[in-house]
Amino acid sequence: MRNIKRCGIILCCLLLYLSSHALAEEDDDMVQPEQTHKPTLEAAAICEDVKEHSPYNAAVVFSTSIGKVYCFSAFDAVPDKVYIYHNWYRADKLTTRKRLVLNPPHWSTYSTVQLREADKGPWRVEISDHEGKVLTVLRFSITD
Amino acid sequence: MNSLYSFFIGVRWEDIVDILLNSYILFRLYILFRETNVLRVLMGVTFLWFFQRVAVYMGLIVTSWAIQGITAVAALIIIVVFSNEIRSVLQARSLKSILWGKHRQNVNTPVEIIVESAYEMAQRRIGALMVFPGKDDLRADIQNGIIWNGLVSKEMIMSIFWHDNPVHDGAMVIQGNQITDVSVILPLSQRKDLPSYYGTRHRAALGVAESSDALVIVISEERGNVSVAKGQNMTVVNRKERLFQILQEHAGIIEKRSPAIRKERMEMGIAAVMSFLIITGVWFSFTRGLDTLITLQAPIEYMNRKPDMEITETSAHNVVLQLSGSAMLVKAVRPEQVQVRLDMKDASIGSNMFHITENNITLPPGITLTRTTPQNIQVTLDVPVIKEIPVQADWTGKLDSNLILEKVKLSPSKLQVIGGSLIINDISTIYTEKINLYTLKKSGTLTLSPVFNPPSLRVAPGIRDTITAEITIRERPQNTK
Repeated sequence: MRNIKRCGIILCCLLLYLSSHALAEEDDDMVQPEQTHKPTLEAAAICEDVKEHSPYNAAVVFSTSIGKVYCFSAFDAVPDKVYIYHNWYRADKLTTRKRLVLNPPHWSTYSTVQLREADKGPWRVEISDHEGKVLTVLRFSITD
Repeated sequence: MNSLYSFFIGVRWEDIVDILLNSYILFRLYILFRETNVLRVLMGVTFLWFFQRVAVYMGLIVTSWAIQGITAVAALIIIVVFSNEIRSVLQARSLKSILWGKHRQNVNTPVEIIVESAYEMAQRRIGALMVFPGKDDLRADIQNGIIWNGLVSKEMIMSIFWHDNPVHDGAMVIQGNQITDVSVILPLSQRKDLPSYYGTRHRAALGVAESSDALVIVISEERGNVSVAKGQNMTVVNRKERLFQILQEHAGIIEKRSPAIRKERMEMGIAAVMSFLIITGVWFSFTRGLDTLITLQAPIEYMNRKPDMEITETSAHNVVLQLSGSAMLVKAVRPEQVQVRLDMKDASIGSNMFHITENNITLPPGITLTRTTPQNIQVTLDVPVIKEIPVQADWTGKLDSNLILEKVKLSPSKLQVIGGSLIINDISTIYTEKINLYTLKKSGTLTLSPVFNPPSLRVAPGIRDTITAEITIRERPQNTK
């Protein structure tokens, strides 16, 4: 009977250890993915919409009447799960910074900005990797 | 006591020079014009001016205005009426005699012989005209004389002026102990105020006396008296002793301690002191009169900037100065006389704060600084650097809803821009001039200019300052946003 109790305690401890270890691994995956390999930017565009994983009506001038503008980016050869950033600037001032995840082996992603009257003017989006290296710069304007 | 002290404490060495110089000018004017009527009229004008100042001080508007007008007219009248006297003083005499007159030292004239000859000729009613030149050159005034060059003697003088002598008409010139010229024709005086009994001989004597420092003895044939012309004056001399004294004074051989010399020196001394007091009074009335305030805006000048630095920003370009001084001096202040200068010798890259003091401000004499606005000036200095900056098209207006502006290609896509390092580091885009979308209907090419903000930025030397934009426009697909 005493042996059964001891075995039960040991088993519980083992289960607790295993479960806690498994949770820790899951957290690490979410916060700090493996980033040893860098993805390659295949295409990028500012567009009116994204349909079927492709930019729709890519342009350099957008009217505020369309309500929303998209920054589309497609990556090929994504070796590991990795994060990239879409940094939106209006008149050289950073207005928003979007973190987007890329998953292997190919991945396309986008970020959006809601347009208001006050957003008219020259814009640019810098697409950068997790180290802050700028992969490309997309320039456009929001007009009447 | 303190107010009296502060009244004098502001006197600078330049002010002392100013007072002394003008005192001397006034003193010399007195010396030059003291034997003429001009001086008396000038005194009258001076009194008028003084009363006008008093009237202004008391606030008598019409009185001061009237006196001012009269003074101005009187000054004109003096110039017109006394033009002959002024010309004879200012033109005929040498510059040295205008600036610094002194007694002559010629001691050779046989005064006693001349005096005896003059009174004997007067007694015998023999007309005569004898000229004794001073320091002025008489060659311009006397004409047609006959060179004589004979020693002065009583017999010689009397024989020259004897009625039947061919050279008895005209004047005799005596220099030292020699009769140098005879039968000389002298210029006649142009004065209108001479007595009617003055004949040609007297007018000729005054003519040469007015235009030079010569002394002339005139012996009247009609009245048998002896007159002396000197400067503007003609005096009848009845006593031999007096003529002797006059000739000695003219020849510069009079005793230094004689009463006449003492009297003259006393007169000079009083004139000098009065000149000094008058000018000092005038100076103080000008510079320490009623205090008046004036507000003036002056541009700031930046001095001694290091050659590799540029001023990129200043908190103010002008300074408002509140100045005070006498009303007359304040009214005369011209903006170009006021300078505000900041010394950038010790300034460094970045923001520099300068406190404006009196040392930074140049003002006309007699004007003092009361207040400065602003008191501190912030100046940003920078070193110009060249940076390559991307160019972006700047669109405005509204594109036709059936069109999509798909692409724009700028050439060059980057510009080499020169500007202050502090500013240019923060610049990440150079925008083109505004491109109006209302006018764009199809693809094409535009030539654009870059817009620099701040304006201190500019395209680096040797770089094209226009941008070509190739625009691609397409029709919007149907049934889409």
